[in-house]
Amino acid sequence: MADAQTPAAAPTPAPAPEPKPKVPFSPILLKHINEPDSHTLAHYAARGGYETAKAHIGITVPGDLIKLVDDSGLRGRGGAGFPTGKKWSFLAKGTGKPIYLAVNGDESEPGTFKDRYILERDPHQLVEGVILTCYAIGSKHAFIYLRGEFILGYQRLEAAVQEAKAKGYVGKKIFGKDADLTITVVRGAGAYICGEETGMLSSIEGGRGYPKIKPPFPAVSGLFGCPTIVNNVETISAVVHIVKNGPAWHKQWGTEKSPGFKIFCLSGAVKKPGIYEVPLGITMREMIEVHGGGLKDGRKLKAVIPGGLSAPVLTAEMVDKCTLDYESLASLGSMLGSGGITVLDEEVDMISAIYNTMRFYHHESCGQCTPCREGTGWLEKVAHRFHHNDGHQGDVELLGDIAKNMRGRTICVLADAAAMPMQSYLQHFKKDFEAKVKETAFVEKQRTYRDEITPTAKSITATGAGPSALDVGSNQGSR
Amino acid sequence: MSPQSTTAHRTEFSPERMAKFHEYAEEYPNKRSALMMVLRLAEEEFGSITDEAMEIVAGLCNVSVAHVQGMVTFYTHFKRPFHGKHRFMVCATLMCALEKNTDAALDQIKARLGIAPGQRTHDGLFSCEKVECLADCDKPPVVQCDNEHFCSMKGAVLDQYLDKLLKEEGKSAAEYKAKSPVDMDPRVPTLPAHYNFPGETETGARKTENKDPYLKAGEGALTTNVPGPLATPFTVPVADGVNAKGAPSNNRPGHDSAGNFSNPASNGKHGAKHG
Ligand SMILES: Cc1cc2nc3c(=O)[nH]c(=O)nc-3n(C[C@H](O)[C@H](O)[C@H](O)COP(=O)(O)O)c2cc1C
Ligand code: SF4
Repeated sequence: MADAQTPAAAPTPAPAPEPKPKVPFSPILLKHINEPDSHTLAHYAARGGYETAKAHIGITVPGDLIKLVDDSGLRGRGGAGFPTGKKWSFLAKGTGKPIYLAVNGDESEPGTFKDRYILERDPHQLVEGVILTCYAIGSKHAFIYLRGEFILGYQRLEAAVQEAKAKGYVGKKIFGKDADLTITVVRGAGAYICGEETGMLSSIEGGRGYPKIKPPFPAVSGLFGCPTIVNNVETISAVVHIVKNGPAWHKQWGTEKSPGFKIFCLSGAVKKPGIYEVPLGITMREMIEVHGGGLKDGRKLKAVIPGGLSAPVLTAEMVDKCTLDYESLASLGSMLGSGGITVLDEEVDMISAIYNTMRFYHHESCGQCTPCREGTGWLEKVAHRFHHNDGHQGDVELLGDIAKNMRGRTICVLADAAAMPMQSYLQHFKKDFEAKVKETAFVEKQRTYRDEITPTAKSITATGAGPSALDVGSNQGSR
Repeated sequence: MSPQSTTAHRTEFSPERMAKFHEYAEEYPNKRSALMMVLRLAEEEFGSITDEAMEIVAGLCNVSVAHVQGMVTFYTHFKRPFHGKHRFMVCATLMCALEKNTDAALDQIKARLGIAPGQRTHDGLFSCEKVECLADCDKPPVVQCDNEHFCSMKGAVLDQYLDKLLKEEGKSAAEYKAKSPVDMDPRVPTLPAHYNFPGETETGARKTENKDPYLKAGEGALTTNVPGPLATPFTVPVADGVNAKGAPSNNRPGHDSAGNFSNPASNGKHGAKHG
């Protein structure tokens, strides 16, 4: 990290009214991931692992831990950015039911690959976080839900849990204190919607990953109808460091409303894609140019998807104004989301990109709500027309209309997550759409379109038999 | 597939997997909630989630077969019988599709194995499909096959891997060029004939004095050979009392050699109960 090497070397005179002194930062969550055997207990113990848990379990009052995390201002790293301490304090008390912790390691948001590194290379960090969190919220049973495709991650996490169990950190009477904890690792099986918290809970309960209507929120009635806290892998891992070093330490980085540090996943047309852990509030330009090494082959920036595929896209001008914190992105009409930054260069066909995006949401909609199930389908179909240079008169308006009618009308926000990118593309790249509206006879178009899109018995083949966007031509034979 | 499963209809997992199941059953608040993991056991045991496996899972987790079928068709990552033995999953989401990375991988697979996404080779050894984001977006294209995860999987690396698999199977690219592939059909096959519907007699035959407009007189008789109800987990409750060590699985005499429902041959011995 550039910051780490040149601590306070450049005290840039910030114009803001109360400039925060720039505190040097070096990676915290990812500090050890490149060391050999970093996933083993021996390695973790050698760098002071489980000391924090040992110091607090059965000693600190759980309420104090919640307050500590609340004071630190930690916000959820899974997407919504909800303050973690606040979420914990909403937990229904005195219900007589067991309390569960469900850790969200589904990581299905396209463009995000941060939890993978924690799970594969530093799983004990997560396990310690789970121990501390469960103690704080009074839970005796934690579920860690991993996406089914994380094969190595599952093996390593499961091994880590077993190692911790053998040491007496997990199980009955952990650390010799009067506290029990079971950690169950659950594997998903390839459904994006199981990243949505209630969808994930449905999946853990042994059903299809159907989200449930909120309220009641999981903190009141979640897993098996019991109060449940859902947090992302990165959030829970950060808890260890916050409990260890205190809230003030965490607040020395970041902005007032987004304190701390976060892992960003950089992909797309940059020279050095990868994961970068940085303090919140650095500029997007710094992320792309300093950490990402700038754009490949001297290409020009066209757009950036700042927080996973669901985040509305930013144009090059917006990128200049953007800093990586929750407020700045919200003010630009986008969101920090899960921290998956994808850089699109001039060569990317935005229509192709949006068609690919819509195909994703159509495929991943769970199908419970009509606006989402049908809306994502129509967005895909209409985007498909544009993708084949065959937009109809009025299709631009149609896309906007469908997207508008999907928002805020469904059980979970997947419908919004699909509509938001579409609306932002329509807003910023309207010309690209208009250029693809042709004026040939409508009937003829409709026929060709139907031939292409209507699934016949033959084309209802396994997942993803259709053409993917951004690759016109090469797959035509597959239909 | 274990050799056993190809010879007889099975109603239980192997002892090791049953032990694993009991581990799960203890850990989860109820058996239904262990479904995701038990389906993984089934996948390991049978190589893919066959109808037979679904019945076993339903029995173990105290849910209906329909529920299990609903799960298996919802989650795309479970391996199903229509998939090839080596199942290529190529990420086709935006981050991988940029710069035609997805296409590069798909083209190479097609060149060696002759299969496009959604297809399987004629011998069922290889299949290819496009999947959504596999969470390794900085190193496209991302491909998974045989429980292995590969990133930057194109060019020489992918070709070498394909060649390795071909060699392992004793196959050649030329063979797959010559024989056309099959489209995979993820739809659940029609229910096996030995299921009893209302109106069917115990042996599975429809009553001949049928009022069913779709059956012409006399047709009912043709179905009398349909095997009777199987001793599925419905009839052999495999719930709490299951022997924890896991008894050796019962071989069903007289069941079709495929060991599943795809070919319920008209063989009268199927009614035999056991367990
Ligand atoms: C469609 C959808 C997909 C989501 N996918 C994920 C995911 O893959 N991983 C994740 O941690 N959170 C995901 N979330 C966010 C979760 O619902 C939830 O807000 C989060 O896990 C809470 O944890 P946090 O407070 O630590 O952020 C998703 C949300 C939606 C609506
Ligand atoms: S919004 Fe879409 S994904 Fe969410 S519950 Fe409704 S149909 Fe399912």
